[in-house]
Amino acid sequence: MRRFLPRSLLGQMLLSVALALLAAQTLSGVLLFRAEQQRRENGLINALAFQLVADPRVDYRTGNGDAAHPESQRRRLRIERVLQSPIITGEMQDEARAERLRGLLTDQGIEIQDLVVLARPVAKDSYIMRGLTRMRSRNNFDNRDGWDPQGEMLLAGLKRAGEEEWLVARVPLPGAEPRRFSGVILQTLVLYIVLVGGLAFLLRRITRPLAALADRVEKFGETQEISGQLEPSGPEDMRRLITAHNAMESRISALLSEKDVMLGAIGHDLKTPLAALRVRIESVEDDTERERMAASIEDITRSLDDILSLARVGRPSDPLERTELSALVASVVEEYEDMGDDVVLGDSSRMALRLRATWMRRALRNLIGNSLRYGAKPVVSVMRDDDHALVRIEDTGPGIPTGEISAMMEPFTRGEASRNRETGGAGLGLTLARAIAEQHGGTLTLANRLDDSGKVIGLVAELRLPLD
Amino acid sequence: MSEQPPIKLLLVDDEASLRQPLAEYLSRQGFVVRQAADASKARSALIDETPDLVLLDIMMPGEDGLSLCRHLIEAKKLPVIFLTARGEATDRIVGLEIGADDYVVKPFEPRELVARIRSVLRRSARQTTPPTVVDALYQFEGWELDPLKRRLSDPEGTVIPISSAEFRLLCAFLDHPRQVLDRDRLLDMVQGREAHLFDRAVDNQVSRLRRKMEDDSRDPRLIQTVWGGGYRLAADVRRVAQEAE
Repeated sequence: MRRFLPRSLLGQMLLSVALALLAAQTLSGVLLFRAEQQRRENGLINALAFQLVADPRVDYRTGNGDAAHPESQRRRLRIERVLQSPIITGEMQDEARAERLRGLLTDQGIEIQDLVVLARPVAKDSYIMRGLTRMRSRNNFDNRDGWDPQGEMLLAGLKRAGEEEWLVARVPLPGAEPRRFSGVILQTLVLYIVLVGGLAFLLRRITRPLAALADRVEKFGETQEISGQLEPSGPEDMRRLITAHNAMESRISALLSEKDVMLGAIGHDLKTPLAALRVRIESVEDDTERERMAASIEDITRSLDDILSLARVGRPSDPLERTELSALVASVVEEYEDMGDDVVLGDSSRMALRLRATWMRRALRNLIGNSLRYGAKPVVSVMRDDDHALVRIEDTGPGIPTGEISAMMEPFTRGEASRNRETGGAGLGLTLARAIAEQHGGTLTLANRLDDSGKVIGLVAELRLPLD
Repeated sequence: MSEQPPIKLLLVDDEASLRQPLAEYLSRQGFVVRQAADASKARSALIDETPDLVLLDIMMPGEDGLSLCRHLIEAKKLPVIFLTARGEATDRIVGLEIGADDYVVKPFEPRELVARIRSVLRRSARQTTPPTVVDALYQFEGWELDPLKRRLSDPEGTVIPISSAEFRLLCAFLDHPRQVLDRDRLLDMVQGREAHLFDRAVDNQVSRLRRKMEDDSRDPRLIQTVWGGGYRLAADVRRVAQEAE
């Protein structure tokens, strides 16, 4: 059900307006129909009452003797006088109508001895059928009342108090009138076109710039590129929103550029003296001392690189490229092999995905480097897990105390072992690795490896990257 | 080495704090070093005397290292090694694209710099191909190798990451397609800056390269083992000039 509902602002507003309009039109249609029915019913009863009341005591049609006048020849089928009740056997009285007619007649001061009201098909009424035949043959047929031999009629018989004769009045019952309904439907349609159409036009003026702005914000969030800003359009409020958003984008972009320039300058300004220092220590005679100095400089350089990378990870300048992951992992593992470190390339299956090789290498180096620093003998494997590529780095070692795993991902956090051994690094390795995983739309998780007895035998880092 | 005339270097860097100790260090290593603090001083130094190789800082005030580099390479045909503070791939590619022979990222190990200076000079001494051909793409069996970006892509266009040693080894094969190359010859051709790592295991590098490029590395089709101790690239190679970007 839910998926049939429109999700855009435009769709939802149009739907709710259309529904409200439909409800209103239905209600007014029902009321109109009922009022109409009431009016028609009153008309019928009134017509019957009028005939019964207006019936002259004396038959002035013959008394006046104006038979020569053609108008008098055109008689409408009216009152019949009979001696017996007009009810044919098997017919049912219409009590509700009779009651109303009784009220009307009583108001006119007529004393009623007996009153019957009933509906009857015209074809069954001999008086009307005879009258119709007669009039048609005389060619002075006046069907002003709209007699229809196929239709129904309403008949009222009145016997006044103290009289022998029944007065019988007849009116045709109008059939159901679809014309009135089609009027309501037509009205609704016109309203729909005018209102919903007009509203759609107006709403589009609001929602189109709004949708464009939503797209723009998404795009800016991804790329932080200033190009392709929106022109203000739509109503005044929208224009202000777009203008304000553009200004904010410009400020953010300026801040980011400033940050990049600043980081570049810091990098340059720190690396040059470090380079000078690195050259100068070559004149140190003591080999051990010189090696230590070189190691310190390397540590500083590595931390500096980590800090600069972490600051840039959200805004990479290099494009994603379709790259074979297992070859990338292998080439990082081989670097360690060449340096004489004990890193094993485990099972790896080939899979290509879009990534930034420079960054991914860095993440892998950080993870493998950590394994070597805190544990031993990391085994690196590449496998497919549903629609993700999974790089696992498993080491043998003390793992991480369970409570500290999530803290390990935070910047400037270092494992206990590291502090004791005075190994270097600013504690940004895992933070950076996680940021790089996220840069690729993936995740990094750490967990302890347990043996059968539940004892921690090492750590496993899982880098999960989405396949296309 | 004593019979040979000393190697003359021109060191261009605006940072005196690095330039002076580096010049001293290189002098101690037996080079004759001239210093220049910026591009214009470097140009006047070039008029006095032509060095064998130029060490050039990529980021300098005034005329920057890149445009001076272009002048050195195009007008003077001098080998150039970049000194750069930024290790980003784009800087390296720009530098190599205009024809720099190598680069080092600050802070570098002075010994490594010396090794690279010697390696570049050795290569430029036996350089026979005109430098314009150097950046042409290699194409073979649907594969493509961009020697500038060191970018290898398979027939589907997927990038296959390779190390520098693997890159040099592959270049050696691609420069001599369908020829049997024995281990000594390969070693000689790929001896670059990773020489100290490399001479341990040509076989090891070949097997690494196979793992990345062959469908079944136990039944290699591209890089075949020749009985009697050698390898051969079983493919025809085309060189295609790169389109200017």
